[in-house]
Amino acid sequence: MNVIEVKNLCKTFKVKKKEKGLKGSFRSLWHPKYQKIEAVKNIEFTVEKGEMIAFIGPNGAGKSTTIKMLTGILYPDKGDISILGLDPRKARKKLAYEIGTVFGQKEQLWTHLTPYDNFKFFGAIYDIPEEAVERKIQELSTLFELEEFINTPVRNLSLGQRIRCEIVASLIHDPKILFLDEPTIGLDPVVKENIRALIKRMNKEYKTTIFLTSHDTSDIEKLCKRVVIINHGELVLDDSMENLKYHYLNKKIVEAKMKEKVNLEDEDGITILKDKGYNLKIEVDTSKKSVADALKLLNPDNIIDINISNIPLENIITEIYKKEEDK
Amino acid sequence: MLTAVKNQGKISILSIKYALMKEMLNKTTFLTNVIFMILNNASFIIQWIVLYSIQDNIGGYTFQQVLLLWGVAAGSYGVSHFFFENAYELAETITDGKLDAYIVQPKNILLSAITSKVKTSALGDLLYAYIMCVVVARSFSSILLFTFLIICGGIILTGIAVILGSLSFWFKRADMVAEAGNGWMTNFANYPDGIFKGVVKVLLYTLIPVGIVNYIPVQLLTHFRLSNLGIVVGFASVIILLAFIVFYRGLKRYSSSNLMSMRI
Repeated sequence: MNVIEVKNLCKTFKVKKKEKGLKGSFRSLWHPKYQKIEAVKNIEFTVEKGEMIAFIGPNGAGKSTTIKMLTGILYPDKGDISILGLDPRKARKKLAYEIGTVFGQKEQLWTHLTPYDNFKFFGAIYDIPEEAVERKIQELSTLFELEEFINTPVRNLSLGQRIRCEIVASLIHDPKILFLDEPTIGLDPVVKENIRALIKRMNKEYKTTIFLTSHDTSDIEKLCKRVVIINHGELVLDDSMENLKYHYLNKKIVEAKMKEKVNLEDEDGITILKDKGYNLKIEVDTSKKSVADALKLLNPDNIIDINISNIPLENIITEIYKKEEDK
Repeated sequence: MLTAVKNQGKISILSIKYALMKEMLNKTTFLTNVIFMILNNASFIIQWIVLYSIQDNIGGYTFQQVLLLWGVAAGSYGVSHFFFENAYELAETITDGKLDAYIVQPKNILLSAITSKVKTSALGDLLYAYIMCVVVARSFSSILLFTFLIICGGIILTGIAVILGSLSFWFKRADMVAEAGNGWMTNFANYPDGIFKGVVKVLLYTLIPVGIVNYIPVQLLTHFRLSNLGIVVGFASVIILLAFIVFYRGLKRYSSSNLMSMRI
């Protein structure tokens, strides 16, 4: 069952184009020039119930604009959006009861209040009876391990603790879909890992559909089974993580410590990344040469130590972005 | 429908309560703000005492009426700035993309936005307003009427601030226009209307409705006329309606922003 359906979605912004310097400012006072920026162009996709989807793209690709149209913050110029059968333009309030949002760059909590008071406030916003809010706060504070600081004013919390509280605030009304826009921005690796584990647990326990945007490839790799890539406002890829890796991971990195030096310079399908005499790092294009053949060239008897790994997801995504730039 | 209105009211009151709690974090600042505003308002009375010692009637107002005028002006300002302070920062709220948080909540966006901040010094204005009211009009019914009139006045001031602030949906730097417009509403508020003539007077009962917020209420408190009360209530209703129409029209043009922000 699809919980999100997007068809031919378009959004254009009119941006004032200013010439350089004070002179330019005066000129644009009397003869303003505008530039139309197509932030989102004919995007189409669907999301199934319970899915964890990564919606990614470089800066300015149109991710935030899309997520803002899906949550009713922005009005699209063209196209149809259906979130749980509701049109965000026409049924904003109804939709708000069904979705939760966390914008990593924009805090929704009152910083002078404690997380507990904030959660009570959010409970009132969603018209949840007192007892039910208390129960929910108890349940979520256990799941997100907030007990230690639930009565400390938000402004005194660390960034990681705040983000946990932001997520809990967005879950107080049991949303069916959670939109997470850069939830791990600015967090240290340990806290990031912690947040990811909590999001995963939440998806498992409540079957919440997760719509995630992030620049952190670890977020995407560890949380999502499906990736949608957007660039210059257009959808450039919509595939499962497995397929993405299968299609793009036709390259392996081989790092070897050798007894004797080996010359692989003219070998087809092999790119030398680093050659420090006895330490060699090569990239094997498996569509041209198998890893086994590459190892034969190195001569197994000549190898002291070896490590074979996939290309990091980050490199794959960068390659996809670059391909689109070159088109 | 009734439940929805009740729930919205509950949220607005909670929002004001939490915003007040924030202002009360520092006792000294909080009390200083309130007391200094009372003293600031009171200092102007001295100038009127001097003027009325020279002549009994200025612009058709007696000294008692001037006190009432100051009471009404401070009261309307106090109601508007205490309960709806963010209406005066609506332009920045729009351009900085801070409406996002309210749009994703199942409540009225405009009410949620304008009740998210209180101005502590406005409490001083309110206290000062009631001191003036009690000094001049000593009956309970007059205090009740005064309360009703400053609520209407506060609503009109807020409505104007919302309309001016909403211009930000269409124009950049509309905050400057809003600031000037809101400034006019207070600058003309403390002078007897008899000193204004011709076009200025027409403006004060139309485009810059200081007359409806301040002068007619003073007349009502001294000589009650139902028709005058009708004008104030009618005008307040029209302004509320207009404020909602302009804001929600503009909201369709809202472009948000990616500025980092906090709810402080």
